[in-house]
Amino acid sequence: VDWDKLVQLLVNGATLGSVYALVALGFSMVYGILKLLNLAHGDVLMVGAFVGWGVLGWLGGAQDPSVAVWLLIVLMVLAAMAGCGFLGVAIERFAYRPLRRAPRIAPLISALGVSFFIQNSVLLLFGANFRSYDSFDLVDVEVGISWGPLNVWIIRLVVIGAALAMMIALWLLVTRTKLGKAMRATAIDREAAAMMGIDVDRVIVKTFFIGSALAGAAGVLVGLVFGSINHFMGFGYGLKGFTAAVVGGIGSIPGAMFGGIFIGLAEAFSVGYIEDLTRGRLGSAFSDLIVFLILVVFMLLRPQGIFGKPEVKKV
Amino acid sequence: MNKGLIAAAIAVFAFAVVGTAAVAKTGGTASPAQVAACTNVSLGFLGPLTGPAGFLGQEQLSWLRFGIQKYNKAEGTRFKVALGDTQLKAPVARTVARRFVGNRGVMAVIGGSESQAVRVSGNLFEKAALASISGSATAIDLTKGRPYTTFFRVVPNDAVQGPDIINFVSGTLKAKNVVIIDSQDDYSVPLAGAVSRGLRGKNVTVSRESVSADDTDFSSIVANVGSNVNVVIFATQVATAANTLSNQLREQGKRAIVFGTDGAYSPSQFKPRSGYVSVFAPDLHFDPKARAIVREYRRFVKKDTTGAFGPATYMAGWVAMVAIEKACADGNATRAEVVRMVRTTNVPSIIGANIRFDRKGDLRGGGEFVIYKITNGKYSPVG
Repeated sequence: VDWDKLVQLLVNGATLGSVYALVALGFSMVYGILKLLNLAHGDVLMVGAFVGWGVLGWLGGAQDPSVAVWLLIVLMVLAAMAGCGFLGVAIERFAYRPLRRAPRIAPLISALGVSFFIQNSVLLLFGANFRSYDSFDLVDVEVGISWGPLNVWIIRLVVIGAALAMMIALWLLVTRTKLGKAMRATAIDREAAAMMGIDVDRVIVKTFFIGSALAGAAGVLVGLVFGSINHFMGFGYGLKGFTAAVVGGIGSIPGAMFGGIFIGLAEAFSVGYIEDLTRGRLGSAFSDLIVFLILVVFMLLRPQGIFGKPEVKKV
Repeated sequence: MNKGLIAAAIAVFAFAVVGTAAVAKTGGTASPAQVAACTNVSLGFLGPLTGPAGFLGQEQLSWLRFGIQKYNKAEGTRFKVALGDTQLKAPVARTVARRFVGNRGVMAVIGGSESQAVRVSGNLFEKAALASISGSATAIDLTKGRPYTTFFRVVPNDAVQGPDIINFVSGTLKAKNVVIIDSQDDYSVPLAGAVSRGLRGKNVTVSRESVSADDTDFSSIVANVGSNVNVVIFATQVATAANTLSNQLREQGKRAIVFGTDGAYSPSQFKPRSGYVSVFAPDLHFDPKARAIVREYRRFVKKDTTGAFGPATYMAGWVAMVAIEKACADGNATRAEVVRMVRTTNVPSIIGANIRFDRKGDLRGGGEFVIYKITNGKYSPVG
């Protein structure tokens, strides 16, 4: 076993997985409360990446930032979270709320429409060229942790740390606060929650705000760690985030976290080992095959996901 | 009511069939033999104006516009450009090609910029006897066996690039262990295959990897790059991808350097601490004889967007305009006449020797690729 490679792949997978987990959390929160697949969620991540890029440019760019690097990153993340939070609220207000009593296919189609709308709006505003965060100029790739042959860029650690911090904060919010209790009550039974005096509309709006803010933060983290962003990047991250949510158990917050890390690691390890395992028959190009094969296997064997509970209907 | 519905459905179906047949018959096209008045002639630009390679297409378009303005001023002509954005996607390129074929004013197409665009548009242009002249499509098979008789290119093809890379990597860099990455498209897969075969023939150990053209993270591919690997050859059309790969190699403490192929040529986007890039045409910034035209171009665009892609497209446009003007000597021209005139081209070039085509549509003599060394983001020609 090449331990250096194994540990390096673990770090790579954890970075990717952290991003997927943040996206999966948004999917899970919205699904938990509305039983709606918010297919525009990946595009919210893309908008977050562009907001972060705008703030970076506004504050002098990667080569010559006008504030300290750590402050710049914090401001980029906060701006993206705020921007995407409000975008999420707007999406809920105009695309989903009017369809709350419609058959379940209607909001799904509406979500697809919102996804295309956001993608094309960004295309119109910024053009289709890849935009670069130039994060390799912001923080040199050799700045980080070196442990034997293992090297980890500090931005990668920032991404993993920030994602973990946000997940823990969300966990505390859901389990320890009044809003969290209201969210859980709404997820269990919306009508009963309303009868108990919970303002369900407000809870749904806050859920959208939080889920979208997490996606916005994920967008900035993607831009920082991989360097370039574009208007169609949301599709890939949305799809992988959705897969993570399903694998973890859609509607379950720990499930989304676990699913994200699991899919990130599966992707990294499949790129790293697929050629060895298939004796050269398949190459790194087929890593997505493994990821989506995992999704299919889970759907067949455990459709409720790892942390999900099978739905029991009283007859 | 049912009868009414059925009648309406039959009427719609019949209308669709007749309409489709009519469009299919004309192909939505102008006839090859159609005679165009030479007062309203356009050059169609078929290249990626948006998408991952949008910056290259924009540079090409900018130089094409510069060439048209210069030619019009010198010859008293009124050439215009018709835009066709391929977005680096083959199906989009085919749709744009159909539009050009159907546009009576388009007498020649500049492009496709990318090999896959030529592959999907070549037979359409051939049927319409419409000349297409590319300043950047380098795939060998575009002219091998002459699949598209109206296609020409003013740059050398990968039959030149492949051996150039092989000789440079095995000879000059003396690399013994190489990783070659393709980006799963019509341009990079054959090039990566040819280079890997050639290097193996020179006793270089080669491993192959593959990424998607949209990928932005290569860290797990980099984990596969052994510490004994000297060079990672990346056949890509996205310069930012080459930049990320180079930085991720450094991040993981790998000593291998990136050798990018022509799509990676971008001093503003691919700026590794140490690396190489090969490209089909020289960057005029490094040519003292080209100072005047670069200065003139800067005045035209108000900013410098000169790389290696623009000047070659300028020449493609120039070849087309010379050919159309010759075909228009009697006041009218057909597209077929323009193709004949392109075939007999012999014009001085700003990127090398006179442009003359062989019977396959390639540069006579083959042309040559230029290799640039990159040190701390600064480019300098080395071969």
